[in-house]
Amino acid sequence: MQKQELKQGIKDSIPIILGYLPLGFAFGVLANEVGMSIIQATMMSVLCFTGAGQYIAIGVMQIGGAIFTIILANVLVNLRYLLFSTSLVPYIKGQVQTAIGSLLSYGLTDETYAVAMNRYQNHAPTASYMAGLNLSAHIGWITSTLLGAILGSYIGNTDRLGLDFALPAMYICLLVFMTKHKSDVIVALSSAFFCLLIGYLVPAAMGNMFNIIIATIIAASLGVLIRERD
Amino acid sequence: MSGTSIWIMIIGVSLVSLLPRILPVALFSRYEFPELLKQWLSFVAPAVLGALTALSVLAPEGDIEISIYNRYIWAFIPTLLVAIKTKSLFYSLLIGIVIMALLYNFV
Repeated sequence: MQKQELKQGIKDSIPIILGYLPLGFAFGVLANEVGMSIIQATMMSVLCFTGAGQYIAIGVMQIGGAIFTIILANVLVNLRYLLFSTSLVPYIKGQVQTAIGSLLSYGLTDETYAVAMNRYQNHAPTASYMAGLNLSAHIGWITSTLLGAILGSYIGNTDRLGLDFALPAMYICLLVFMTKHKSDVIVALSSAFFCLLIGYLVPAAMGNMFNIIIATIIAASLGVLIRERD
Repeated sequence: MSGTSIWIMIIGVSLVSLLPRILPVALFSRYEFPELLKQWLSFVAPAVLGALTALSVLAPEGDIEISIYNRYIWAFIPTLLVAIKTKSLFYSLLIGIVIMALLYNFV
């Protein structure tokens, strides 16, 4: 265990936790409203750690849908992690033991992925860093869910705190960090474009986040093509 | 949904959300990817961030909303400028959150 790396991971998770607070809190409140107990809501955040997927579960429960529907929707929503996780392999390989790396990938989310990839551009991954980042973010998610489930009925509108913009602000900043070459900028812009276009043409893709997967595949392929040229 | 059904649902969701994250690292770490695939994978992060940024700003509630009434677009501009200028996640987040709070409360 490298203390410095662990600390860095925890430090890097703070903006993520800030963004998770309103989201996890809201999940706790809603879960309670659709009939989940405080323990169930909290355990769902412990065992699942999939913001979009958990919100979908709430939505389906609200309209009295089936368990199967919830699970199927979650298969689709979580498919993008196959891509994220695979793209981490070249970095982790040889640096972090496979068993530990796999276990810590439990904490892979859009946000921890973005932060970790940004770090690995200049620093070799370590198990300690992964643990610090992923576990802290997960603990933040669990804690905010618990708070929402307990306090939900007492606290009114949290929109006015502006925390809704924490995650978008983080994406924007990491996007700036990650786009060092012209080819990266073109890839990011085309991915943004295709993602919205697909979402516009096939609204269902917005819900299950398939537009992110397809846009990423198109844009990354475009990146390989343009890098070949320069 | 009954208590038992909820637990079954939670465990089902847990499996399908964790396996796609864990399996690639567990299975692929023993292989050396071909150079072209590595290059392709290196573009996954910028592509994902481009998509996530676009969605979180232009479709904050899940539906595409490109209009002057979308607060996220107004908060996006100063946040991007601060991110480029300061290269600091802290300042970007701070300015983004403060501007969002101001827009929400006063506009």
